[in-house]
Order: sequence, then structure tokens, then C-alpha cells
Amino acid sequence: MANDEMTNGKRQTVSPQPKFSNEERLEGIGICPGIAIGTAFLVDDPRGRIIRVRLRESDVEKEIVRFRQAVEMAQQQLDAVYQRLRAALGEDQAYILEAHVLMLQDQSIGRQIEQFIRDNRANAEWAVREVSNRLLKVYAEITDEYMRARSSDLEDVSNRVITILSGTQPRSFTDFSEDAILVADDLLPSVAAEMNTERIHGFATNAGGWTSHTAIIARSLNIPAVAGLRRITSRIRSGETMIIDGHAGLVILRPAPDTLRFYLEQRTAEQQQAVYDLEERELPAITSDGQRVALRANIELTDEIEVVQRFNAAGIGLFRSEFLYAKAESGLPTEDEQYEVYKLLAETSGHEGAVIRTFDLGGDKLHLNGFKPERNPALGLRAIRLSFKVEEVFRTQLRAILRAAVYGKLKIVLPMISNLDELRHAKRTITELAQELHAKNIAHVANIEVGVMIEVPAAVLLAEYLAREADFFSLGTNDLTQYLIAVDRANEEVNHLFDSLHPGVLRAIKMVAEAAHQAKIPVTVCGEMASHPAEVIVLLGLGLCDLSMTPSAIPMIKRIIRGIDMQTAEQIARQALIFTTPAEVNNYIHKEMAKHWAHHSVATPDN
Amino acid sequence: MELRRIVIPNRLGLHARAAAKLVRLANTFRSSVQVSRCESPQRSADAKNILGLLLLAATQYTEIEIMTEGIDETAAIDALSRLIEEKFGEKE
Repeated sequence: MANDEMTNGKRQTVSPQPKFSNEERLEGIGICPGIAIGTAFLVDDPRGRIIRVRLRESDVEKEIVRFRQAVEMAQQQLDAVYQRLRAALGEDQAYILEAHVLMLQDQSIGRQIEQFIRDNRANAEWAVREVSNRLLKVYAEITDEYMRARSSDLEDVSNRVITILSGTQPRSFTDFSEDAILVADDLLPSVAAEMNTERIHGFATNAGGWTSHTAIIARSLNIPAVAGLRRITSRIRSGETMIIDGHAGLVILRPAPDTLRFYLEQRTAEQQQAVYDLEERELPAITSDGQRVALRANIELTDEIEVVQRFNAAGIGLFRSEFLYAKAESGLPTEDEQYEVYKLLAETSGHEGAVIRTFDLGGDKLHLNGFKPERNPALGLRAIRLSFKVEEVFRTQLRAILRAAVYGKLKIVLPMISNLDELRHAKRTITELAQELHAKNIAHVANIEVGVMIEVPAAVLLAEYLAREADFFSLGTNDLTQYLIAVDRANEEVNHLFDSLHPGVLRAIKMVAEAAHQAKIPVTVCGEMASHPAEVIVLLGLGLCDLSMTPSAIPMIKRIIRGIDMQTAEQIARQALIFTTPAEVNNYIHKEMAKHWAHHSVATPDN
Repeated sequence: MELRRIVIPNRLGLHARAAAKLVRLANTFRSSVQVSRCESPQRSADAKNILGLLLLAATQYTEIEIMTEGIDETAAIDALSRLIEEKFGEKE
């Protein structure tokens, strides 16, 4: 770990772990950056600890009354949440809670539960769980994926009733302390809707990754969050102090005094920085010798447009459209729904425009029939491959983009391109659709720019040829690094190998940059590399002056750029390419960083 | 008793929102309302309760049969058929 910190620029803010203390650290996936320090608040998952009680005959009818009262109370809670949600988000988003209310009112299940209580002299908690488990089994056999997914609603409702019955914890999220950090297995939508978000400073969950509910909620609220911790709910109790380091994807439980002090300083620095960053908003992103660098924003949701503007990004360098799926409760978003989203992007992203990446989904994320879980999803039916397979979904998306492009500057980028045929096929489809729209007299843009994501090694090797037919490149360094080194970042046995400064990765990036420059097409770097200072310097040195990143990283990267001249960057890049091991490259670059930009605290904290 | 066969026309089928609307409407009538899948009539659900309806898993183009029985059975079957024909108020 200590070694990792020294060699990896991403971990620069992590404090050393003390030897003697109660402190415990868990690593997960940082889904929203920032530091939160606060008191843990465990959102109860009542499933785990239901007591089974065999009642006395004389108590059975009382238990049924208790059950009915709990249902009544759940009903009131849900009604209140429903009203709030409808007021906040509108009927369309709130309907799922209406289904919850109806499930509570469902007499057949109510009767079954009461029958179970009578037959088994069971306590109500046990009966609710038993009967809903039976139903869930029936649901599990439904073949339609979307319909089957509704079983999570049934679980949500039965948990609510069980929680009320156990009386352990009122699910009122208005009464936690001022500095609460929410700890949960996963955030259920109905729970999220109930929260008093002003008092929540962070999220930490067992489940989830980038596309989980937790991630979407955390990012739209800009609250530091770490997901995928797997066992955090069993490692901490409500009321204990904990720290979330959303940058490093780290959670620290019961921090030792030194750790706490370290993070308090970090947090203060971050807050001061935030104020300062906004003051620097208007400054142009140019190197000290006058090279202009485009700093664009990567976003998932239109809610983030406000943040894009706040940080004065040069348009949207990457819109990850698949989040339209993650957000849509009702499955596939329609052409008109998508059109509205893309139109908003076109209207708000100014003359720099927005680059829309077509759906980068795996078959498992798409609620369609006939896709089985894959043994190797990273190499499976995902992104452009899936789009070609479900061509109507692809065409619907493209039509929506072509129509929306009338309102501003939109470009299309195709994910996971591995050969020229895929690019040609997609371009042909776009031409056909434009002709159809023309024939139907529907306003659209016919000559839209079409680029390819360079993220598959084969695309790097073919970059020269792809560059002749694509209008631009988007360099997805995360996936490219994963595929080049053949390492799954979610696998903790091997994820220490993931390193975008790996000599192999740097050489691939250089090839792509050269191919693009030769063909005179623009190339935007839109992986995480673009938001890490040390890596940005190398990118600049390789002539990559168009970067797209999470908007909150823009101020920091702008400062780096304004403090460097191209000659130094080129020299650093050239030298970095001489090294042949990842450790050598990392050590060299961090030494250079420390030399030139000491105030960016790239030095490790134990120095 | 009134019987009518109808094909689920909307893209998402009898999903949560559509089922919720159907249950709400069914509950405004005094008649009993049963819905079953035509190709397997033993799969039948009380339309006044949502869980059974969802378990029918009636996707787009599934043919279902509605049966109403009671004092307002004709009004009930007309109203319910209309809701389904109008795609539960959904666009597609």
C-alpha cells in the first residue's frame, strides 16, 4: 500500500495508516469525489435479523391486528413520500411509489400473510417475510426481464412493513445528526426519496458501482461517495465516526487522531480551494507559452449541466448516454424522451457543443429479452456490438440525436470500435436515417460529425486507418488501459496493475496522437487520465491538448496547465517514454511534479 | 357476466404503472374483475390486486381475457377495455 501511494498519483491525498488503533480502512469505488467526515448512520436492512416466534393461541388475533396497523402505517409513510416525490419530480417519476402503495393494499397477499400467522402461530415479521419470499420465487420465474425486475419493488415494500413491525428504527431520515454519513447495503429509490439531503455529507454502500442508484444520486447531489465496499454495513455501527475519501475510493472507520487531523486539513484545503477555483473560473486554460488547451466536461445526466457551466467547461466532451437507461424506470427511453435530453444538451453547451457517446451498455444492463449473463462481459456483447444487435434501439437513438442537432452543435462518438467495418456500418446507418428524416420532412442535421472511441487495442493499431474515415477520436484511457494490460479494475487481486502510466499504455497513446495529427483530425482524451495532474503533463507532452473530465476537476487541471510550458511537458513525455517499467515512469513523473509544482502536494504525506 | 378478449398494445406491457392504473380503475366498480392470459387460462388474476396482475407478466401483444361479474359488469368491462386500448395513457 505504501509503495502504491508513492507510485500512484491518484492516491496522493491518502494519509498513512497508523499501526496501533481501532482504525479500519475499506477500499471501494469512488463514485463522487470529495472528503466527508461525519457520524455513521446505518440504514437498516431488516432482512438479516428477523426473529421467529411461535405465539400463544390467544395472541394470534392480536398479532393480526398488529400486522394491519403496520400496513396502515406503511401506507401513510408511502403516501407522504409519494406526495413529496410527485411535487419534486412529477407524476412520471413518482408512479413507482404508487405501485408500492397498491402492493400494500393488495388483499390477496394480506390474506395470505394473515393466514400464515394463524396457521403457524407466527409473529408478523416472520409471516411477511415468508409470504413475500414465496412470491419473489414466483417472480423469479418470469421470463420478461423488465417485469421480473419489479420484484425489487415487492422487496422494498415488504422491508418497509417489517421495519415498522420490528420498531427498531423509524425510517425517518429527518432525525439524524448534522454530519451524517449514510451507510447502507444499497440505496433503494424509495429510501433516497425520503432523505433529508441537507444533513447527509456522504454515502458508503456495500453494493453498487458507477451506474448504481447510489452513484447517480450522489453525483446529482455532489456528495462524496464510495460504493462497492461489500462489507461496510457489518464493520461499523451507527454513531461511530467515519471518513469518506471519494477521490481515492477509500472509507476509514473510527479514524485514529492523526488520520482525523490529516483529513480535517484536507477537507479545509478542499473547501478553500473550491472558493478559489470559482474565482479562477474566467481565466483561460493556456500554458505559460501560449498553447491553448480545451478543458471539456464528461457528464452522465442533464442535471450536471449547471455544474458544467459553473466550472466554465469548453462544452461537453463526453455525454455517457447509457445513463438514460440507468435512470429510466420504465425501460428503454423513447425517441422523444431522448430527443428532449439531446436538445437540452445542444442548447446549453454553447459553440463548443456536446459529444454524445451512443449507448455503452452490456447485454446485462439492457432490459431486453434473450440476453443471457455473459461469462466475460468486458469482452462480450457491449457498446457498439450490442447496438448493432438491437439495431432498432440504435436507430432510435441516432434519430433523436440527428433531430436534436438542429438546436446546437452535437457530435456522435461510437464506443468500442475495433475495426473499420463497424465505423462504416454506423456511418451508413446515420446516412440512411438522415435520408428517412429528409423524406418525412422532419428537421434534422444530415452532416453530423462522427467520431470513434479509441479504447480497444486493435483500434490503436488501426488508428492510422480509422483516422481517415472518422471525424475525430475520443481516447477512452480507462478502458484502453484495462484492455491493454488485461486487468479488471474491479478485481482487487489484480487492480494494483491498473496504471495509465504503464509504458505500454503511453506508447499506445502516442500512436493514437500521431495518427490523429497526421490525418489532421482532433482527438479528445476523456478517460480519468485527463483529470490527474501527473498524467495530464504527459498527455500535453504528447501533443494532446484537448481534455475532457469530470467538471469538478477542471480548476485543478487548469492550474496545472497555466503553470507549465509545452517545452517542459514535451521533455517530460519524451523522457517518460524511455523508461520500460511502470514504477520507473511513475517515480520519474512524480519527481518532476515535485520539482516543478511543489505546491500541488504530489509528495507523499509521509515525507 | 361479461367476457372480452384484448391484446396488450403498449410497448412496456402490463408493467407496474399500467397495472397500477388498471387496479385503480377496477376498484371503482362493484363487480368482480378477473384477468387471464388467453393461451393459459389457468393463469388468472384478480384485477383489484396488483401483485397477481404483475405476475401475469403480460408483455406487449399478449392476448388477455377480462371477465367482469356484478351489478356494473358492462360499464366495468367497457372502461377497462378502453384503458387498455388507449395504451394505459402511454405514448407507445
